[in-house]
Amino acid sequence: MTRMSYKFEIENLNAWFGSKQALSNINIKIKEKAVTAVIGPSGCGKTTFIRCLNRMHEIVPGTRVSGKVLFGGTDIYAEDADPVQIRRKMGMVFQKPNPFPMMSIYDNVAAGLKLNGVRDKKRLDEVVEHSLRMAILWDEVKDDLNKSGASLSGGQQQRLCIARALAVEPEVMLMDEPASALDPIATGKLEVLIRMLANDYTVVIVTHNMQQAARLSDFTAFLYLGELIEYGPTKDLFENPKNELTEKYITGQFG
Amino acid sequence: MSRLIDTGLERLANLVYRMGELAHETVSMSLEGYIEGTNAYEQVQDRSGTLIMMASEVEDKAFEIMARFQPVASDLRILKSYTKIAYDFERYGRYALDVSQVQNRLGGLEQCESWIYEPVTKMSKEVMSMVRTSVESLKSHDAKLAKSLSETENRVDGMYFEYLDRLVERAPATNKCTISTVLVVRYLERIADHATYIGESIVYLATGERVTLR
Repeated sequence: MTRMSYKFEIENLNAWFGSKQALSNINIKIKEKAVTAVIGPSGCGKTTFIRCLNRMHEIVPGTRVSGKVLFGGTDIYAEDADPVQIRRKMGMVFQKPNPFPMMSIYDNVAAGLKLNGVRDKKRLDEVVEHSLRMAILWDEVKDDLNKSGASLSGGQQQRLCIARALAVEPEVMLMDEPASALDPIATGKLEVLIRMLANDYTVVIVTHNMQQAARLSDFTAFLYLGELIEYGPTKDLFENPKNELTEKYITGQFG
Repeated sequence: MSRLIDTGLERLANLVYRMGELAHETVSMSLEGYIEGTNAYEQVQDRSGTLIMMASEVEDKAFEIMARFQPVASDLRILKSYTKIAYDFERYGRYALDVSQVQNRLGGLEQCESWIYEPVTKMSKEVMSMVRTSVESLKSHDAKLAKSLSETENRVDGMYFEYLDRLVERAPATNKCTISTVLVVRYLERIADHATYIGESIVYLATGERVTLR
């Protein structure tokens, strides 16, 4: 595989909360335009891990990171790297849908562009429609674009957040348990969407639902106590895990 | 704490082990009957029918566990392997019945000359030991024991072709003995193949490794 088929190349990544180490020596390469799932029991460091990918970990006071995270070949932790620029290239979706509650559906999606100074109504209309279509939400909301984003169902709100992230044309989508607050139908729709996104974006998804990882990811990483225990094609990891800890965790013998 | 899936897996394992014992009994009964000239047809037929029903029960149970628990890793490999092994046990029963049918129609091996009697008896005993080994290695999930089937299967194959060559050399004329033994050694060869398939499934479920033992 050539170097450029990896979106992230992570070398000796360590992360701390104060004196407590949350990640130890993580080495992993994340493939471009694929879905990589990060699984592991609560507190294993999976959320910390994806928050290190867009330099969000350091937002919490007292935290520290060491090691390299090459994003498209450039170290995002280099001294001259600008965290704001980096975060712009990565959309992030959280456990709880967080549309801007006072804004309409339209404005939620257009917010990023407007913030970047785009004022052209036609251009905004195009991007809003395109993003909502990409997020498989357009058909459900096209007649209600002026309604509040908060008026949508949980699953729709989550897809709205994805549309909002897509509008600013990121390269990566980071998702932290995006379906854990959704019912099975909304989860199913979101999973289809995530699969489709992988045609154009690199998706890294943290999930504590192992079946979800098995269903939708191409690669799976298993973290335990801040260490990367096993990483490989999802089929291999779920059919014939190499590590006994992985076997025990995914078969529900602990965790 | 045992998991919800464990009860189902345990029941399934017991069913497959029972099938293994029954399949072994069926093959032994049929081959001993054929060698000694005692009639075991009805008992073999009865057991063969039971094995068919049990194989479909194994399949149903395995699919129910998949639907309910979404098994992964060794749980998943067990289900895949047990379903395949149950089919192999069903085939043991079917070939045992074929042997008994041949005996019914053409008579047993006891009527045959020693140059026929001895090699076919020897091959039967090797095959019975393979059937035993396949059942034992299943019960203990013993990949090493399962792999040992490969060596016996080579021997059985050798005996099979050697016997066919000898028949061609020594018996241009056909009679009950030559015809029945040609059929029976073919069934024996098939049983031996199924024993190695079982061995392959056991290696897979125990280690995840895919091997060919034929």
